[in-house]
Amino acid sequence: MSKEHDKGMSVIVKTITRLTVGLILLYGIYIVLHGHVSPGGGFAGGIIIALSFIHIMLAYGKEVAFKKLSKSVASFFESIGAILFLVVALLGFTGGYFFLNFISKGEPFRLFSGGIIPICNIAIALKVGAGLFAIFVALVLLKFEPEKKG
Amino acid sequence: MIIYLLCLVLFLCGVYCVLRKRNIIKIIIGIIISEYAVHLFLILLAYRLGGRSPIFSPDREITNMVDPLPHALVLTAIVIGLASTALLVGIAMRIYEKYGTFDITRIRELKR
Repeated sequence: MSKEHDKGMSVIVKTITRLTVGLILLYGIYIVLHGHVSPGGGFAGGIIIALSFIHIMLAYGKEVAFKKLSKSVASFFESIGAILFLVVALLGFTGGYFFLNFISKGEPFRLFSGGIIPICNIAIALKVGAGLFAIFVALVLLKFEPEKKG
Repeated sequence: MIIYLLCLVLFLCGVYCVLRKRNIIKIIIGIIISEYAVHLFLILLAYRLGGRSPIFSPDREITNMVDPLPHALVLTAIVIGLASTALLVGIAMRIYEKYGTFDITRIRELKR
């Protein structure tokens, strides 16, 4: 056994995690990219993407999970999601008003359609996924300073 | 009509849990239960008899569909509920760090 398999849960959990976590991540990306033609969208897909990283952290411990997605990278993606959503909304002013759908709509029920809505879905997925991962990290790992009573 | 009353009963279960229990974790669970009762009530208001889900698809003509507006409202409410629940859990962890208990009757320093 290598050194990174010392911490975390048992071998059974680690093996199942190694087999399934890529599928969970791919399913989240599928939900995000098909958010404008089928149920789902940015929020649900972002939650599934964050759950794949939380799955790694639960099975392997925090070092392996932080090697995949560290705290500063998660914070960076969260900020990028918010800024991307705002920029897409503000770019509508080039045509007239806020949230103007300035890209061509395309043919309905296709993957590349809907104008700015897939970009907004991707921005929401980045924000929600990184945000949920950060909430999990903050609730589970961060320790408060011990404080005197009174 | 009876199904709305059952919704109210679920909401009152959550309110009872908030008012009666002394453990902070149980109070948070009561808040979540009453929140979900409100979500269920809004979803039930959106239902129409024999309606299908409001999803456009190229192969079927939509004749009778349920109201999609409360669904979007409830989706937003779920997001807000997630954030506020995370805040509540953070405050509960902070209280446990400071006082060493989850029992609200033993947090004496708050009364001064």
